Amino acid sequence: MDFIREYYFDFSLMGDNFGAVLDGFWVTIKLSVISGVLALSWGLVLAVLRQLPGKPLAPVRWLTIGYIDVFRGIPLLLVLFLVSGFLSAAQAEDVIPETIGLPTWFGETSPFWYGVISLTLTYGAYMAEVYRAGIEAVPGGQTEAARSLGMSHGQAMRYIIVPQAVRKVVPPLLNDFIALMKDTSLVSVIGALEVVQAGFDIQTAEFNGSGLVLGALFFLAVTIPLARVVDWLISREQAKTQRGGPKPPAGEAKPAGPPATGMAGA
Amino acid sequence: MEETGATAAPAEPAAGPMLQLENVCKRFGDLEVLRGVSVDVNRGEVVCVIGPSGSGKSTLLRCVNLLEPPEEGRILLEGKEITGKEAVEGINFVRRRVGMVFQQFNLFPHKSALENVCIAQEKVLDRSGAEARQKAEALLARVGMADKIGEYPDRLSGGQQQRVAIARALAMDPRVMLFDEVTSALDPELVKEVLDVMRELVDEGMTMIVVTHEMGFAREVARRVVFMDEGLVVEEGPPAEVLGNPQQERTKRFLGLVLEH
Ligand SMILES: Nc1ncnc2c1ncn2[C@@H]1O[C@H](COP(=O)(O)OP(=O)(O)OP(=O)(O)O)[C@@H](O)[C@H]1O
Ligand SMILES: [Mg+2]
Repeated sequence: MDFIREYYFDFSLMGDNFGAVLDGFWVTIKLSVISGVLALSWGLVLAVLRQLPGKPLAPVRWLTIGYIDVFRGIPLLLVLFLVSGFLSAAQAEDVIPETIGLPTWFGETSPFWYGVISLTLTYGAYMAEVYRAGIEAVPGGQTEAARSLGMSHGQAMRYIIVPQAVRKVVPPLLNDFIALMKDTSLVSVIGALEVVQAGFDIQTAEFNGSGLVLGALFFLAVTIPLARVVDWLISREQAKTQRGGPKPPAGEAKPAGPPATGMAGA
Repeated sequence: MEETGATAAPAEPAAGPMLQLENVCKRFGDLEVLRGVSVDVNRGEVVCVIGPSGSGKSTLLRCVNLLEPPEEGRILLEGKEITGKEAVEGINFVRRRVGMVFQQFNLFPHKSALENVCIAQEKVLDRSGAEARQKAEALLARVGMADKIGEYPDRLSGGQQQRVAIARALAMDPRVMLFDEVTSALDPELVKEVLDVMRELVDEGMTMIVVTHEMGFAREVARRVVFMDEGLVVEEGPPAEVLGNPQQERTKRFLGLVLEH
């Protein structure tokens, strides 16, 4: 019993290594935020490409669907190996310039940027599917109204459909972001010193897991509040749909309650 | 707002019908929804279309503004062909001249009443923000919504939403307005406020095609009534004839059913 406590919760060891673990977590945060923002954008681009209208653009749609299927269907670790291996080999062979093959942009390491690229490629595909669900959930009457006012397909998407779709999918996108944040730990495999690697180094040197537990606490400090935000957004959305009808509400709507069933009309 | 878009538009050749439909056919897979519909609508004329559910009334309107391109037949707008390979004018020509109002309002829920009326003016007609806003305020006042300009659709009643939707369509200065059962989704006490707005448009000489179940309204404002069934025009003529003294068996049966309740 004592051994368990010693192994996982050695507070003096945590204190001694706090700086190293925090440095690692800072890398994790940067990886998460940069990859997250890029994946959110790339996913939206993919979702819009997938919805392009008309026969001549069918190849674009098929390519997009193929891309999404592939990157949703293979492990992130495999993508990491393929991306880092290709880029470093290609610059060694002078196929691509060194600034791209061994990127050190903004003072971050090459493994960091390989990670950003891989996370963006993979999570862009996940998020594209989330956006697609949102776009398809916007009633067809919205497109018709926009088109009947003379908007082009692109204008209807940009001003009418996508803004509504994005609002609907903020909670699932945040869930994907939480998953992305945890998956940044895989980038350690190709040499990024993020928080899990930092904790693991301590465990290897001290035969003690407290550094990793400290890393876990850092994760939870971010992911648990995010999860609560997701819950709050969902219950707020539910309250809104339950309020339903076109009648103006009296004050603020009550939260949650049973899920909306058998709403009249809509 | 002294002038409607219809009268403010540059002088057009006054002669000839505004809209001509010749033998329009539309299929969805195996389902023949329109089986050769021919209707002319003159300038300033109000044509009401009635008929049972599924007879193709909505599809007909959607063909006119090319939301559903017809497969056969021709549609001419201001004398210019807008359908098929011989089309001399594209979709933009049509959508800038034809406004549409829907049964379900289809207001943009993420935009206020004012923004609903402004957005297409700015993005499609390239009007400045100030110009669009001025026009939108005038139109919203005209449909009795001056005090609700900043409200979002989910805080408006159905009748109010539909009046905003009419203002939104009018903001594009259409020459023809299409109304698809615009009062069918409304509580009975809200129907009149929407019909009143439409009556005003009629008085101002707007060319209109109105799909409706409001027989009283059709009788009052329509120059002509078209009765459709199974994708065909069964009977058409002045309201007094089609509604008052129908010749076709199917028309009689339909009116009998409608008048029962
Ligand atoms: N996009 C579509 N795809 C397949 N079938 C359709 C489509 N739109 C309409 N239909 C079918 O075409 C037929 C005619 O539809 P339409 O909406 O024009 O009828 P309507 O006269 O407007 O009826 P209602 O009074 O119920 O509105 C219906 O059977 C409908 O199911
Ligand atoms: Mg209909």
